[in-house]
Amino acid sequence: MSQSAAIHNNIRRLRFEQAEMTQQALAERVGVTRQTVNAIELGKYSPSLEVAFRIAAVFAKPLEDVFQYRSDAMSRNESA
Amino acid sequence: MSFREKSAWITFVLLLGFGIYFGEVLNHWLNPGEPHTNHLQLFLLLVVAIVILEIVTHTMMAIRSPEDAKAPFDERERLIALRATRPAFFVLLVGAFLSIGTMHLGANTFMLAHCVLLAIWIAELTRFGTQIYYYRRGA
Repeated sequence: MSQSAAIHNNIRRLRFEQAEMTQQALAERVGVTRQTVNAIELGKYSPSLEVAFRIAAVFAKPLEDVFQYRSDAMSRNESA
Repeated sequence: MSFREKSAWITFVLLLGFGIYFGEVLNHWLNPGEPHTNHLQLFLLLVVAIVILEIVTHTMMAIRSPEDAKAPFDERERLIALRATRPAFFVLLVGAFLSIGTMHLGANTFMLAHCVLLAIWIAELTRFGTQIYYYRRGA
């Protein structure tokens, strides 16, 4: 359920840039609970593609600006 | 704490109350000569009490936060519910096989029925306990 180590997100920063949008407001626009937004933001839960796209659409950003995938192999390559 | 997590907590705690029934049955089984309460009466009393308390507590929660109560399950909540079903099913399966095993140990129909009931009870506790665990963990 949670692949928190690999998938990172900028939701907190993007909410801040959107006039401090609350988690509740984002949750209502995406169609999930506030607790789910919180779990996604903290990296405890990786959302489905559909919810990920909906979150990106709320911020009017491409998906990769909101979520980033970093596997161990990628991190090793970058540090080498 | 979300509406669904509170609901899981309430159901888990209320289900624990059903342990009174199994305690009484065990007491009767270990001390057959002693007077005991009517099992059917106690069973029905506990079932009715649990149902009433479920309705009352959930109604109170819904009045306090109607939006949360009306909201459909989101994907994380559905996933938690599904994940909690898996260990509960395993517990139920093991309990069912162990119940069958009691027949070979000389258990009568009464005991067999209660072993199955016990397996269902533990499986339900496992289901709601697992849900609480995932809600506490975040997902």
